[in-house]
Amino acid sequence: MGSKESCRTELRTAIRQLNDRCLYSASKWAAEQLVGIEQDPAKFTPSHTRFQRGSSSIRRRFRTNELPSTPTAGVSYITTPVPEEDDLVDSDCYLLAKSYFDCREYRRAAHALRDQTGKKSVFLRCYALYLAGEKRKEEEMIELEGPLGKSDAVNHELVSLERELSTYRKNGTIDPFGLYLYGVILKEKGREDLARTVLVESVNSYPWNWNAWSELQSLCTTIDILNNLNLKNHWMKDFFLASAHQGLRMYSESLSKYEYLQGTFPFSNYIQAQIAKAQYSLREFEQVEVIFEELLRNDPHRVEDMDMYSNVLYAKESFSSLSYLAHRVFLTDKYRPESCCIIGNYYSLKGQHEKSVVYFRRALKLNKNYLSAWTLMGHEYVEMKNIPAAIDAYRRAVDIDPCDYRAWYGLGQAYEMMCMPFYALYYFRKSVYLQPNDSRLWIAMAQCYETEQLHMLEEAIKCYRRAANCNDREAIALHQLAKLHNELGRTEEAAFYYKRDLERMEAEEREGPNMVEALLFLATYCKAQKRFEEAEVYCTRLLDYTGPEKETAKSLLRGMRAAQSLPSMDVEHFPP
Amino acid sequence: MREEEVEKLRGVVRDCVSKHLYSSAIFFADKVAAFTSDPADIYMQAQALYLGRHYRRAFHLLNASQIVLRDLRFRYLAAKCLEELKEWDQCLSMLGDAKIDEHGNVHDLKDCNVMYLEKDGEDHEINITSAICFLRGKAYEALENRAQARQWYKAAIKADPLCYEALECLIDNHMLTCEEETSLLSSLQFGPEDGWLSSFYSCLIKKYDKENVVEAKFTELEKGNCGINSSDPSFTNTLKNNTDLLACKAEYYHQCGEYQKCFDLTSVLLERDPFHLKCTLVHLAAAMELGHSNELYLMACNLVKDYPQKALSWFAVGCYYYCIKKYDQSRRYFSKATQLDGTFAPAWIGYGNAYAAQEEGDQAMFAYRTGARLFPGCHLPTLYIGMEYMRTHSFKLAEQFFLQAKTICPSDPLVYNELGVVAYHMKEYKKAVWWFEKTLAHIPSSLSEMWEPTVVNLAHALRKLKMYHEAISYYEKALALSTRSLSTYAGLAYTYHLQDNFNAAITYYHKALWLKPDDQFCTEMLTLALVDECRRGSDHKNESRRSDVHAL
Repeated sequence: MGSKESCRTELRTAIRQLNDRCLYSASKWAAEQLVGIEQDPAKFTPSHTRFQRGSSSIRRRFRTNELPSTPTAGVSYITTPVPEEDDLVDSDCYLLAKSYFDCREYRRAAHALRDQTGKKSVFLRCYALYLAGEKRKEEEMIELEGPLGKSDAVNHELVSLERELSTYRKNGTIDPFGLYLYGVILKEKGREDLARTVLVESVNSYPWNWNAWSELQSLCTTIDILNNLNLKNHWMKDFFLASAHQGLRMYSESLSKYEYLQGTFPFSNYIQAQIAKAQYSLREFEQVEVIFEELLRNDPHRVEDMDMYSNVLYAKESFSSLSYLAHRVFLTDKYRPESCCIIGNYYSLKGQHEKSVVYFRRALKLNKNYLSAWTLMGHEYVEMKNIPAAIDAYRRAVDIDPCDYRAWYGLGQAYEMMCMPFYALYYFRKSVYLQPNDSRLWIAMAQCYETEQLHMLEEAIKCYRRAANCNDREAIALHQLAKLHNELGRTEEAAFYYKRDLERMEAEEREGPNMVEALLFLATYCKAQKRFEEAEVYCTRLLDYTGPEKETAKSLLRGMRAAQSLPSMDVEHFPP
Repeated sequence: MREEEVEKLRGVVRDCVSKHLYSSAIFFADKVAAFTSDPADIYMQAQALYLGRHYRRAFHLLNASQIVLRDLRFRYLAAKCLEELKEWDQCLSMLGDAKIDEHGNVHDLKDCNVMYLEKDGEDHEINITSAICFLRGKAYEALENRAQARQWYKAAIKADPLCYEALECLIDNHMLTCEEETSLLSSLQFGPEDGWLSSFYSCLIKKYDKENVVEAKFTELEKGNCGINSSDPSFTNTLKNNTDLLACKAEYYHQCGEYQKCFDLTSVLLERDPFHLKCTLVHLAAAMELGHSNELYLMACNLVKDYPQKALSWFAVGCYYYCIKKYDQSRRYFSKATQLDGTFAPAWIGYGNAYAAQEEGDQAMFAYRTGARLFPGCHLPTLYIGMEYMRTHSFKLAEQFFLQAKTICPSDPLVYNELGVVAYHMKEYKKAVWWFEKTLAHIPSSLSEMWEPTVVNLAHALRKLKMYHEAISYYEKALALSTRSLSTYAGLAYTYHLQDNFNAAITYYHKALWLKPDDQFCTEMLTLALVDECRRGSDHKNESRRSDVHAL
């Protein structure tokens, strides 16, 4: 890794260059990392000190985690020199165009640059045209919105831009920013392979454009693709890899990378939020909450990633914190997709599903590709028993990201409710493939196999077995396994599972109909196996319950006594 | 009156003509003729009368002077007068009987010499025979004798390659097929200094050649390295930006489906010369393909204001309404355009298309048939007739028309595509594949979105031939061109389904249904695939489970 000082200078230059090209979010990201580097001791002020103390306390918490630390030795970094601007003084036209761009008058900006041939001007012109097309597309989408909230609107600039940029690339007169834009366009046109190549070229020659990295990440859908990228070593690559691994659900790799990056960027809010994201996926809600509390203390008006915090609060059902968060983001910026999503969660937790849907809808109006809002809205619709709407929402979610197991699971659930087990099964299988250690998914699959339409009990048994192996919190699997085996006449296996279920229930001190059923089966089974003593124990335990089982237990006991040719005792005398 | 005074008066007449003071010209020419009674002066007087739109008087004068039959020029002028008077039969008889053979060679029965008029100076003169042939052609065309008209136009251009009007008529009215055009052009005998003209003409005719051939023609002209003028740099510069030439280029772009490029070019050209009619036509066509209805509206309004008597103006109005999908109105204006000028081919085709867009096959067919009759050199009406037949599942008939279109224009890929589609519908899949491959081979530029349907068609045909791997690769090619086609996804899914690759099939059925959620085929097939996958998936898992057991 480059020294802190070199990172700092690189980032400072990059921010100026990115700003010059109106790549606002990339420049924001770079600036966040810049202040994430340890401060110059010379510039310390009391406010800085407070800031640092806050952050380092999180770090200490994380040190306690036994995360594998990345070996830092053996990786040599190629220093990419920050490219000098070819024209140090911007032309007047460029200044005009940039001003138009800043006022979101994209077409005007592009027109102002129509005759400029500098690389910077060409990029800004193309980028302005692209954004103009996007803007128009969004507008058209609202104008022509179909019943499912989707339309065939396309960005009309794509074709001509693609042609222009491809010529520049062939001529070799394209700069890394042009390559980035070319990659974005190719991705939108569905030519993913070429898009990846182009984006790799872009980040290899100019690594500080985070936008390019994130576009590249969205194209890395499997680990093989990621490993086959021909990337130059640069500290930005570590950021990319960390984020990409997270996207591929390889959380421990991702976490260790972030740990390592924190060595250089100890105060980066971004890294902390990313760590929180990984922990959230690992369902370590406590940790996530701590991190977010810290983040909000340092950066009270942050809205990014706060929707995840709200999910955690929702899962923990902490009303007051969620309400506080919702009000806070509401005051910061009411019309951010994240804010709307948080408010949606808040209403959902309060059971006001209609209102919650309104807010998720608003979030999606603001950002059509907001994955978690689609999924969450699907959940709300399921709660409201509006299955077609739920299915549509989930479908939108999986269309945006086919790796979202929650949405797949939601789809499966919805189809199950519509009594279409073949469909449901397929979707459950998808989700289980993405999240193989979640017992709920296995159980859902098994239940599909059990339906009358499929009636594939062997398969169901296998699924339940998997569920039982991955820490089935609700303890459905064992019971179902036992029951199924019993139905199939495999009493031995059934007995085995009933026994395990019983043990478990005893351990967790739970009682209920399952307990009765288990006891009854085991009693009968043992009796049939002539293990009368055991059977007697079960029967006696059954006598603690009321209902028909009690009578059955009595008759069983009676039968056993008779079989053992013991003198008949009046069972009525046993205390109830 | 003295000779020099008369000569002076002649000068006055010439000057009046050049200043368009026709009444004065007539007045003085009359006086000169009265003084001299020289046939040349009578000719001048007749010319002045003609220019002053006194056609009957001019004709009478020529007829009365008795020399009319002896001099070709007199006869030509007299015939011109009759042309303006629309007395076509008389016009033809005035021009005299002449026979023409298949190859456009003229056999004049009476040989008339140019007797009374000397040539003026060193200006290149258009051969009078050529002019006469051209006028004959026009007369025949007006009499709706198209075959004769075509022969005479050909004769005119053959007699003098500089008689551009004849070529223009031949091309604009689609009188010749592709082959005929090229052979005509190659038979022309250009003067040594007119090499550039030959290249220019070759750019004007139908351009269905490969991209590089056509581009080469254009660059040759742009560089101006043909003919005499390669030494003169100023001349080459002017031709490079010549509007006519660039309009040809725009026309070519349009034909290749590069509508945006075409539109950009024509926009520039129209800024320079807003009344260039050919360019306007191409511009309209490109704007319509791109759906720029606003542009069309403005163009149509301006054209109707400037040229209310031109078919093109009303054609533009029709285009506008077609573009905004108001086919009734669009039909009305296309038909108005055809009434103004029955030889305006685009209006006939537009008229047919406007009917076809509403699936009114009979009326559409009527318009196309008229088009096919009027424009034997244009394959589009024939092609569209075939398409209409195909829509009504008359595949045999459709095929016949497509083959006919192919003979007219053997290099348009679209014809081959349609032939392939017909073969596909007639379940002759091998033939279909052959046609589709031919289509792709005929595409002038690189594969673009415009030809995505052909790629999909080819994939479908290959699938029918059970060549699943090839089919899949073509489907994927099609997806690289456009990701919004239901048919591609459905076809791809079905192919995977046939290969028993249920998982991929399900994925693609989903994608297809995402584009059109109520597609029946995909819904049913998806259900089947899911059932298959479920049953098969269990077997598959059984095996993996078994290995698991072994591992344990």
